[in-house]
Amino acid sequence: MKRKTPVLIGMTAALALTLTACSGDDGGSDTPPAAEGPVTLTLAGWSLSSTPEFQTLADAFNEENPDVTVEVQEYAAGDDYDTQMTADLAAGTAPDVYVLKNLKNFFTYQSGGQLLDVSEVTGALDPSTGGLDAYEADGASYAVPYRQDSWVLYYNQDMFDEAGVDQPDGSWTWDDYEQAANDLTDGLEGDARGTYQHSWQSTVQGFALAQSGGALDTADYGYLEPFYDRVLDLQDSGAQVDFGTITTNSLTYQAEFGTQKAAMLPMGSWYVATLIAQQASGEADEFAWGLAPIPQVDSSTTGTDATPVTFGDPTGLGINAGIDEEKIQAAQDFLAFAAGEGGANALAEIGITPALLGDDVVDTYFGLEGMPTDDLTRFAFSTHETLPENPVGASTAIVQNILGDLHSAVMSESTSVADAISEAEARAANEAGIS
Amino acid sequence: MATLDTPTPAAAPVPATLNPLNRRPRDAGRSAVAKALGYSAMIVAAAAILLPFAWMVISSLKTNNQVFTVPVTWIPDPIVWQNYLDIWARSDMTTWIKNTLILSVTVTVLQVVTGSFAAYGFSKMRFKGRDALFVLYIGTIAVPWQSYMIPQFIMLSNVGLSNTLWAIIALQTFSAFGVFLMKQYFESIPEELSEAARIDGLSEYGIWRRIIMPLSVPAIASLTLLMFVNTWNDYLGPLIYLRSPDLWTIQLGLKSFIGQYNAEHALIMTGSVLSVLPVAIIFLLGQRYFVEGIASTGVKG
Amino acid sequence: MATIAADERSPGAVGPGPDGPRTGRNRAGRKLKLRNTLIGWSFILPNFIGFAVLTLIPVFALFYVSFTNWNVFGAAQWTGLDNYTRLFGDASFQKALFNTFYYSVFHIPLTLAASLGLALLLNRKLRGVAFFRTVAFFPYITSVVAIAVVWNMLFSPEFGPINQFLRAIGIDNPPGWTTSATWAMPAVILVSVWREMGYYMLLLLAGLQTVPAQLYEAARMDGANAWQRFWNVTLPGLRPTMFFVTVMLTIQSFKIFDLILVMTNGGPGQSTLVLSQYIYQKGFVENQFGYASAVSVALFAICLVVTIIQFIANKRRES
Repeated sequence: MKRKTPVLIGMTAALALTLTACSGDDGGSDTPPAAEGPVTLTLAGWSLSSTPEFQTLADAFNEENPDVTVEVQEYAAGDDYDTQMTADLAAGTAPDVYVLKNLKNFFTYQSGGQLLDVSEVTGALDPSTGGLDAYEADGASYAVPYRQDSWVLYYNQDMFDEAGVDQPDGSWTWDDYEQAANDLTDGLEGDARGTYQHSWQSTVQGFALAQSGGALDTADYGYLEPFYDRVLDLQDSGAQVDFGTITTNSLTYQAEFGTQKAAMLPMGSWYVATLIAQQASGEADEFAWGLAPIPQVDSSTTGTDATPVTFGDPTGLGINAGIDEEKIQAAQDFLAFAAGEGGANALAEIGITPALLGDDVVDTYFGLEGMPTDDLTRFAFSTHETLPENPVGASTAIVQNILGDLHSAVMSESTSVADAISEAEARAANEAGIS
Repeated sequence: MATLDTPTPAAAPVPATLNPLNRRPRDAGRSAVAKALGYSAMIVAAAAILLPFAWMVISSLKTNNQVFTVPVTWIPDPIVWQNYLDIWARSDMTTWIKNTLILSVTVTVLQVVTGSFAAYGFSKMRFKGRDALFVLYIGTIAVPWQSYMIPQFIMLSNVGLSNTLWAIIALQTFSAFGVFLMKQYFESIPEELSEAARIDGLSEYGIWRRIIMPLSVPAIASLTLLMFVNTWNDYLGPLIYLRSPDLWTIQLGLKSFIGQYNAEHALIMTGSVLSVLPVAIIFLLGQRYFVEGIASTGVKG
Repeated sequence: MATIAADERSPGAVGPGPDGPRTGRNRAGRKLKLRNTLIGWSFILPNFIGFAVLTLIPVFALFYVSFTNWNVFGAAQWTGLDNYTRLFGDASFQKALFNTFYYSVFHIPLTLAASLGLALLLNRKLRGVAFFRTVAFFPYITSVVAIAVVWNMLFSPEFGPINQFLRAIGIDNPPGWTTSATWAMPAVILVSVWREMGYYMLLLLAGLQTVPAQLYEAARMDGANAWQRFWNVTLPGLRPTMFFVTVMLTIQSFKIFDLILVMTNGGPGQSTLVLSQYIYQKGFVENQFGYASAVSVALFAICLVVTIIQFIANKRRES
């Protein structure tokens, strides 16, 4: 009991301090002194044994900068990463450099004062780097993108041939896609279907937002309607497995496309590496496949002489605002490396889509074994205007939740598209205070 | 102790007419049929209850892309043992099990001891503020942990407990649940027993240890089992507090091993099967303490 | 002390006898009372210190946060009752509140009945009873992810075994279960009863051991049938445990979280959105910890009121 009393007081005091005091920006000198001698930076990563990108970046950086060691700390995968990171940042125990998985949480960290201004690093990067300006706030930049996945159309060439349907040529609009999906379903034997759109809200809303000039922060979501109408039509005609079956049977897109249950799959470019690996291990069937640009709303952005519009959030690196001043220089160097040519090449070698897609990088990527090498695939992979799935803003997280509810209500056919949209608009006005 | 009369149930005289062995033959025949019916009902119910577990085992023997199919395949073809080998070979299963065992055992022991001790104070002692304090205990059960885990984490981090097993022990040991459970059980133990012990000059601590605790074996058994299972299966607690891989518990380790982008469902199920089995064994061992008559020994009918 | 206790002994007395100074010597009585309080606290303190530091302080912090706009990072600004007034205009909160009640109203009695039935059934010396008890407890120890996956599959509207069975017995238009806004909640309730009945069975099994076997025999001798024995012997003997089980069951129902998260994630639409999930969403997804804390306090207040009602009812039945 005697021993415990001071602890009790200490804990209460500590808690009171952390709840009232502001963490992070406690003044500091103007020009941070760079550390002399070897520096060790800590970097957050997840599922390290199956996600080699963090260690790859760390090693490649260390090779160029032998004085700086980057130590990767393991965090949980999925949404749990942000739960752990939030806790660690709040308690001041987070690593020096951490990953911003998507733009939804970037806003939280940035507005919470947990990211250092890295405008200097950003300014020196190649302006063609994908997602570079996504991390801007109040005229400054708070993170750099090192990875930029974009959504493309995967298609099974063998199944197209079997059904006698023309393969995509880069000129498709969504109408062409719908037509092909129906034709494929009719032409294929057994219960194989034309296409597979996974149960995520982004498989409908991501395209709608990027291609129809809509926004999340105005409570007007009418632009979703044609996209939902099309998906519901596909579901009704049987060209696409219905939403209820996907969710209740926990269907995975890897199995649906990899074992030839669907001939097309709109999906992010991260799946390329998985598909190659699964075909090599025998988990996915052997078949010829390719990438096509994602279908467009109208023909103004179709064809290989235009730039197709798609979506995808960049993955970024930011510096913890609570970092030791001596380490800031090293951390900035690391960010510049990861988002630059050096990092891009290292990432492309392990099948990851870097944010910087120079010709060298694309060559490295297409040198991977098992990668299709046709022109359309190369075009689809390297040419696109990729808009963010979660445009940075105060209301983004709230609105995405609301639209997530809209998605499940519409896709399960519990609510009509029009009703669901007007309900979402009312909720957005009420909960996020936008109109 | 001399005045404490504790006859065993076997010694209690049973009137001949009530002894089941003396029942008339017609009753015996009817009860055999009833027994058979009862058993078959229980077996059907057991099969239905175990269905999801059976599916877990079956899925763990499939390749990943075979797990979810329409319609469901109940017989894996081919049977894949690889998932079990993978988990053992490629993961740190032994460390995870070791950590989880340390946590489960420590938490369970501490919870049973401190919880039943406090429960005695709440149920057998009478003092001012007792009921208000008790409502405070129960009240906190009603606050969802997710909503105060961050303040708690900040607090424990500031005293250097985050990323240690101590954090989880501290967190789980002092839950109000055990106090409540034991208190309710103590209240059903007749007061006469404590009174008799007091006359014999036993102190309150002595009564707790020598009278109440031995009579509360079923409650201790259920608290032990529930605490053990809860600690074993806890995910959110270790997720928030434990970072370094050599501290991971089995739930945390499995989840991490399964990874993010690849939905390795066959592996998920393998992990689930592996994490359920030890608990099932513990339960099988622990449930034998729910035997009629332990607590009622002291009561004269 | 022993002799005083002997004098004071009366049937049904709770506490260590001498809490009323009947001997007329007030000083001694006060001393005894003080001693009693000290002994009582000495029992409670080891647990209470840990409880106060690790739970009470953070819970008080939560109450404080609920009056601020705290977003986890940095300072919290005092916003007074803003979060609470916002609750009244928040249709999603009200939806979550309604769903939580909907869930609880069915979950509590059904689980209670199922677990009591199981406990009575498995409270005997039968061959293989250990196996059946373990089976009944299995749903609780099985990973919640696996449970959600399997039950969702069973509920699958087109190909699931449940609907195939319903069609076979002539129901042409079986419910869509977890894919239907109307039927998702009944499906969740069903699964949660299935999952938790073993847990409460365990608690009730322990409670059943306190019912003296002699009382059953006495009742039998009086010619009481099985139902009368249950009503007049089992239930009264089980009262303290039943109280515990109902209180815990109520609180846990109001706090239901993980099963819904993995089974329906609150959907379709908001049809299975419950309070705990709403708290998590507001806090960890949208970083409005101040508001999330206010919702928690509301949930806490509801639980507290219900618990106090149960307490009073229990006390009344006791006397």
